[in-house]
Formats: sequence, C-alpha cells, structure tokens
Amino acid sequence: MKAVILAAGEGKRLRPFTETMPKVMLPVANKPVLEYVFDAARNCGIDEIVVVVGYKKEVIMEYFKNYKGIKITYVIQDKQLGTAHALLQAKNKLNDSFIALSGDNIIDQNSISKLINAKSEYCILIKEHPHPSKYGVVFIEKTILKELVEKPKEELGKFISTGIYKLPYEVFDEIEELTSQGIYTLSSVIQSTVEKNKTINTILADLWMDIVYPWDLISVNEAMIHHFPASTSGVIEKGVTMKGAVSIGKDTTIYSGCYIVGPVIIGSGCEIGPNACIFPSTTIGNNSSIRPFCEIRNSIIMEDVHINSSSYISHSIIAKGNIIGNNFSNITGEATIETEGEFKKIKNIGTMIGEDCTIGNNVVVESGIIIGRRCEIEPLKKISKNIPSESKVM
Amino acid sequence: MCGIIGYIGFREAKDVIIDGLKRLDYRGYDSAGIGIIDDKLQVFKEVGEITNLEKEIPLIKGDIGIGHTRWGTHGKVNKENAHPQISPNRKIIVVHNGIIENFKKLKEELENKGHTFTSQTDTEVIAHLLEEHYEGNLEAAVFTTLKQIQGAYAIVVMCEDEPETLVGARKESPLILGVGDNENFIASDIPALLKYTNRVIYLDEGELCVITKKSIHVFDENKKEVTKKEDIITWNVKDAEKSGFPHFMLKEIFDQPDAINQALRGRVSEIKQTINFPEEVEKLLTNGTDSIHIVACGTSYYAGLAGKYIIEQTCKIPVIVETASEYRFFSTRNKSSLVIAITQSGETSDTLAALREAKHSGCKTLAITNVIGSTATRITDGYILTQSGPEIGVAATKTFTSQIIILLLTALKIASIKNTLGSNDIYDYILRLKKLPREVRQILDNSNEIKRIAKQIKDSKSVFFIGRGINYPLSLEGALKLKEISYIHAEGFAAGELKHGPFALLTKDTPVVAIATNDSTYNKILANISEIKARGPQVIAIADEHDVEIEKHADFVLRFPSNSTLLSCVPITVILQLLAYHVANLRNCSIDKPRNLAKSVTVE
Repeated sequence: MKAVILAAGEGKRLRPFTETMPKVMLPVANKPVLEYVFDAARNCGIDEIVVVVGYKKEVIMEYFKNYKGIKITYVIQDKQLGTAHALLQAKNKLNDSFIALSGDNIIDQNSISKLINAKSEYCILIKEHPHPSKYGVVFIEKTILKELVEKPKEELGKFISTGIYKLPYEVFDEIEELTSQGIYTLSSVIQSTVEKNKTINTILADLWMDIVYPWDLISVNEAMIHHFPASTSGVIEKGVTMKGAVSIGKDTTIYSGCYIVGPVIIGSGCEIGPNACIFPSTTIGNNSSIRPFCEIRNSIIMEDVHINSSSYISHSIIAKGNIIGNNFSNITGEATIETEGEFKKIKNIGTMIGEDCTIGNNVVVESGIIIGRRCEIEPLKKISKNIPSESKVM
Repeated sequence: MCGIIGYIGFREAKDVIIDGLKRLDYRGYDSAGIGIIDDKLQVFKEVGEITNLEKEIPLIKGDIGIGHTRWGTHGKVNKENAHPQISPNRKIIVVHNGIIENFKKLKEELENKGHTFTSQTDTEVIAHLLEEHYEGNLEAAVFTTLKQIQGAYAIVVMCEDEPETLVGARKESPLILGVGDNENFIASDIPALLKYTNRVIYLDEGELCVITKKSIHVFDENKKEVTKKEDIITWNVKDAEKSGFPHFMLKEIFDQPDAINQALRGRVSEIKQTINFPEEVEKLLTNGTDSIHIVACGTSYYAGLAGKYIIEQTCKIPVIVETASEYRFFSTRNKSSLVIAITQSGETSDTLAALREAKHSGCKTLAITNVIGSTATRITDGYILTQSGPEIGVAATKTFTSQIIILLLTALKIASIKNTLGSNDIYDYILRLKKLPREVRQILDNSNEIKRIAKQIKDSKSVFFIGRGINYPLSLEGALKLKEISYIHAEGFAAGELKHGPFALLTKDTPVVAIATNDSTYNKILANISEIKARGPQVIAIADEHDVEIEKHADFVLRFPSNSTLLSCVPITVILQLLAYHVANLRNCSIDKPRNLAKSVTVE
C-alpha cells in the first residue's frame, strides 16, 4: 500500500522556527518530525511514500535524498490552500486505497499497521485529547464515525481526529467536487462522506503527538528522547561523568569535568566543557559548542550554536547558528503567552530563540519570551518582551 | 522491500545490472546478488552495499543476467539468504520482491519429497518449484509454479538451458519492462533502466512476460497473450537528485554553510585552540616549509592565489602559485619547498603531471582534494580532504570555498608551528571561522537583492571584476564564474592594473564589479572606483555591511557581514557565485552543463 504524507505547510504558529524550514523539519531528539513518520511508514510495510511538498521543499528533499529502504516520490503543492487540496496533488501517483498522514505529527508504526489491516474502506485514526476544541472533534457510535466537527467553539467530546486516514481511491471524486466549490480541508471531505452514508471506521491511535506551538517542541522532545538508545563516539576526556542514556556523535569532544545525565543527545562535531553540566531531556545539534561552567537542562539546542561560559539555559529552544555570550541566563517558570488573540498559560517554560541571533554577555531573558531570527542583543540587557525577527536591542 | 533487475541484449550484463542495482538501492541494500549466463550459469552474492558485490565479481562476459538488492524480510542478512536463489540442480535462478504467504506449507511439501533447503527465504521455494515443473520450457514452468503460490511477488527467472530468455511476473509488487533496440530490460523501477532507454511497458497485476533480445511477449493469468502499450518517460534520473532546486549549481551554492562545517569538522578545536590534521600532513607542515609552491588549474588555481595572500600574511613565508600546466616549463626547483596541489577531483591531469614533476625533483608534496582514493591522494606525501561531498555542476562552487577554508586552516597550522601568530590571534581566527556558516546563510537569505542587480548586467557584452589584495583572486574567480556559465565576456583585474591597459576597453556599457573591504586597500579601491566612474560605467560594489562611505561612490552595493579581511573572502565568493548564477539564469543558459566544458579535465 502507498502512503501520502502532507508536508507542504509552513506552520505559521511555529515562527520564528519555521522562517527557514517547513514545520515538518523541526527537530525532535535531533531528527526531523517527518523522519519519524517516514520510519513508521517504512517499518509497517508501506511500499511507496508520496510526499506533498510546498513551502521550503528543498530542505525536505535534500535531507531525505539518501533515505533508504522505501521509495519516495515528491509532488508539489504550489499554493498551500488546504489538506484536501494537498492530497489532490498526489492523485495521479495513486491507483488504489492509500494511507494519508500529516508530516508534522509523530505517529508510531503500530497505529499505521492497524490502519492498513483494517477491513473497511474508510478508516480514521483518532486520539483522546485534553483540549479537543483546537482540533477536529469526532463523535462516534461503537466504532463508526458519526460526525466530525472542526475546531468547535465550545469544549465538546473528548476524541479528536489525528488527520491520519485510510482512504479508497474513490475519495478523489469527493475531493474534486468540494475543491471545485472552494472547500479545501480534508475534514470537510470526511464530514461530507459521512453525510453520504458511507461507513467510516475509527481506530484509536497508540502514540500520536502534535506540534502546534513552539513550546510543544520541548515536551515532544522530552517524550521522544526516551526512545533514543545510548551510544558514544568521539572523544570523552578523563573525568567526565555520564549517567543514564547519553548519545554522543562522532568528532565530538567532551572535556574533563563535565557532568551529563541522560537522556541526552549530543550531535557530531560538538565541543562541550570543560566543567559543563547537561541535564535530562536535552538535545544538542551538530557542530555546537557549550563552553565551560554552563548548565543546560530540558532544552533543544540546534546545530551550529555557540554558548559561552557560565550560561544557564533550561526549558528553552535555541535555534541554529546562535552565538550566545557569557553569563546568559533564562528564567524558567509559568508564563502567559498571547497567540492568535488568546492568552495561554504555560507552566515551566524558558525562552525560545530563532536562528542566527547574537546575544551579548550577561543577558537575562524572562520566561516564555520568543526572540525572532537574526536578532542582535547587546550585553547586560534584560529581555521581558517578545522580539520580532531582524531587530536589534540596544 | 527489494529491488530487482534483469537484462538481455548486447551490453555486458554485469555492468548494466550493477549500475541498475545502485539506482535501486533506495529499495534496500542489506545484501545483493547477481546471476549471469556466460557459457554456464554463475551466481555471486555479497552482504552489505552493492559496491561490496561489485568488488567480488571476477571478470565475466555474458549478455544475459539478473540482479537483486535485498531488504530482508524472511531470514537473516547473510550470503545464503541473498538472491538470486538457486534451484537444487543449479540450473534455474530467481530474484523476487514480495512475500510468499504459503511458503511454509509449500516448503514442508517439498521437504517431504526429499528437497533440502539452504536458506531461510521464502524465495527458495520458488526455485525448487520451478525445477520440479521444468520440462524444457521455462515459461510453462513459471506458469505452473505461480498457480501454487499465494502472496505478493515480482519475480524474474533465468535458466541455464535457455540462455536467450528471461521470464518475469508480478502481483502486488512492481515490475516494469524497458524496451530497447536489440536489448530489453526488466526492473522494479524506472531509474534502473533510464540510462539506456526511456521506452517502458508497465506490467499489470498477474501478468507474465517472456523477453528475449528482440521480443517481448506479455500474457495474462490465463496464458492469453495481451498487447501492451509503450510509454515514453520524459524526466531524467538527475531531476530526482536536485532536491527541488532548479539547478545543481544553485543547490551546491546553498550547500555551502554545511560544506564549510564539513571542512572544519574534527580539525578545529575551539576549547583547545588548535588546528589538527592527520599526522603525515602535520609532519609535512612542520618540516621544510621555508617556502610553498601551489600548483592548480582553473578555479582551484584561484583558490591557490587566495591561499598565497592568506599564507604569506599569517605565516610570513613566500608562496609561489603556478598554473599546473605551466609548472613543468619553469626550470628552477627548490627542493626545500613544499608543493601543494589543489584539485577537486584529484584526477586533473595537468595538476597530476606537475605533482609528478615536483616529486621527481625531490620536493615534498601535499594534495588538497575532494575525492578520497583519487590519484592525487595516492601519489603525494600527504593529503587533506575538503569533505564537501559530490559536486555535479560543472562550475565549481562549494569546492572552491572549501579549498579556501582548508588553505586557511593550513596557514593557521603553519603559523602556530612557526609562531608567527600569537595564540590569541589564532583563537580569534578560530572563532571567526566558526561564524562563517552563518554569515554565508545570511548572504543566501538576501539572494533576491543579488538577483535584482543581476538584471543590470545580463545584457552587457563585457563585465570587469576588480579587487586588491586577497580580493584580486576573488575578482578573477568572479569573472570566471560569470564567463563560464553566462557566456558573457568577463575579466578580473588587480584594481591597480586597470590604468596599465584595460582602461582602453572600458566604456559606459561595461559594468564593473568592485570588491571593497575595510582594510589597508580600502582608500585605494575607492580611488579606483572614482577613476572608473569618470569613464561612465556602472559600478557594483561588494562591501562590508557597515560601510556607509561606499554608497557615495558606487551605483549598487551588495553587502557581506563584517569579519576579518582574510575570512570575508568566503561570503564575498558566495555573492559572486550567486551573481553569476542569476545572470546566467536570466539569460537562459545551460547552467549545469556549460558548452565545451567538462567537470574534471583528465586530458592535458
């Protein structure tokens, strides 16, 4: 069976991290989200993946150029109109029943296998969710889908659609009809299929995680890093203490006096220490350096990041190419963050810093602050407001 | 998932099949095997990548064969379980992609009849059944066998007694036919055969085909012959490898931040503040570096010229840069000087000839190359790899910047050995080197600005590039990039040389690209720009991001991030590459394959 993976979206809510890469390429445990989807599809016997790409497609195609074990075909969606429209782009690569998945959710192979082996023609994977109103809420009778309500105003139901389906080829008739009327979402297509009295079976997904906001990355990273096996290469100097599952890439040097408590993943070509402490659920990307006396916990440090001496970083995301001065520290705690006109309370959040920023010595960032891409912050500043991309704090 | 391929025709079957398997390796590659009829049937299998198999195969002739690359489902990864699977009498072989669901039952039945099995695969059952049913007609044996098996399959079968025929069949697994003249192909997917033919036939569910050199017959499940339509494939293999970029050159320009990281990887230590090379290279740099001779061709020669400025400034030793093809005509050789050869491919014959010449006269030699195992790495006393990955566009881009990075590292290493730079200066350079990838990203981000300026020169007949100091080799490189891909006549000059002749060619229709860095050359280059402006041409300046003064002198300004002069040559190069690329693109030139040029020049 073939699988169609939708990976064309930008992920505006995940800015500034999606300014240079599509949402599906955000790293979780040093691996793009999309790779988890590819792995799951490959391991449960899918024989071809059709990937619908659009926004920053080169990043995806370049990364997966050498992905082995399964055939990958790309189709391009020029305008990101909606999920049904995206799926329609893959029509002429398909000729039979197929699995449709979104590239920005983490899913396990078991759930996909259940979907492949299901008897009925139409199937949908669903999942219980504490905040269903942000998603398509499903109403079911026994296991049959009765109604799919997209983002209901009130808190209704408790099961949501994961956006993962098994669909027959005929579904394209419905998609073509609806898209010609300007309706572009896949959930409308499903709802309209239900209304035409087709039976759509629901199956409960085992592992499914969605990334909607930047801070979701931290919790998803924390959950997935536990699946990562310990392995060490590179140079580990005498006097380094490592506990738990620590993975260290090649050409990386861990200098004397470092204290590392797993699960921690450190990429290749990094330099850590001497005397740096790295605590659980931290991932550090390739070619990064963490200078002496730093403490890092539960954070995502991407590639090419330089963190100078005596900095404290926790529950934070530092994107590619950041240069962070000495004695940087972020405050971790509860924060109220405004997104899309709504206020969200987040517990235990540090800071989120976009690509290629330069941050001076002794800068302090308050909890929940988002700093955009290519910002420059002068030394001795306290940052208590979000900073838009390409700004300078003097 | 596995990949299969079969060939019958006039070519060496071995070459066609190995090449095809390499293109199918996305389908799995834990082991691979090949069977060829060369008087008698011969089978070779190997665990691991296809190159392992390739090494194991002796010289064999034979114009019919089948091959398989495996991604194991039944049984361990070992030679026995690799395909082709062979019948007990060693006459019939089969390659298979799919899963035979009833193989346990069939295997038991066969074992009861006295068959012994050597592998754990489901496929071996097919080979045994084929032998059972074979009565002088392979096609009939395949028909009978397929009736017995359940599950998914795409198979290709070959029999020693019928060296003119391949039989293939499919159900649920893919199989296509490639139609050639006096040759035919059968494979899991199109890339495997696209190099030889673009005419394909798609086999449908349950169909069986019999192919010979000159004919293809397709039958349905009821042995009834069906007529099939040929399709013409219009895309080519390379399209898939460009990762969505319109040209390899652009992709390779965008690869540069990563290529720089690769060149620095494992060689620069920020904490220890040292530069590390392999032992034999460090020995070469420690002993006898009173002077350096750099030999190279084309873009690599310009990298060498930039290297001269870098090494002389940091190490205070004389560096002579020579075009490799001319090296042999210079008659004095200094035995105590180190000869550094720069060649992307490691096979440039002019450069190799110069290297041999240098060795012959007793000099120590060092190669800077991108290809491990190339001739240059074998005939020199030491080599440094640029680690930039394959470069396909004929115009060198990422390999040039990587060569400069390696020359910078070499210079810093020599400087630290000779103590010509203090440890603080070296540390400063290391930090700046580490910042380069992000500076290049910044340039790539602003490539729209460069595109806008490219419009200004796209219709020019001639373009000048000028610079002073290390920017002089960059202006040569900028001019080379522009001329080789856009076919606009372009020349690079040392800015001071203009008034000694080239001024005569300057008209208001000759745009000038001037590189102005904030160093000792800055005031002089401003003066040169004024001289040029007085004669009417447009000036496009490439200047530091904080340079305000330049606005008064130039018509257009392209900016690069501030760094030390020696290091800003990398971002400046990227600007020049993008400029050439966009001009060529606006002129609709064949960017990846410029006329009359080849990627590696292996003739003198």
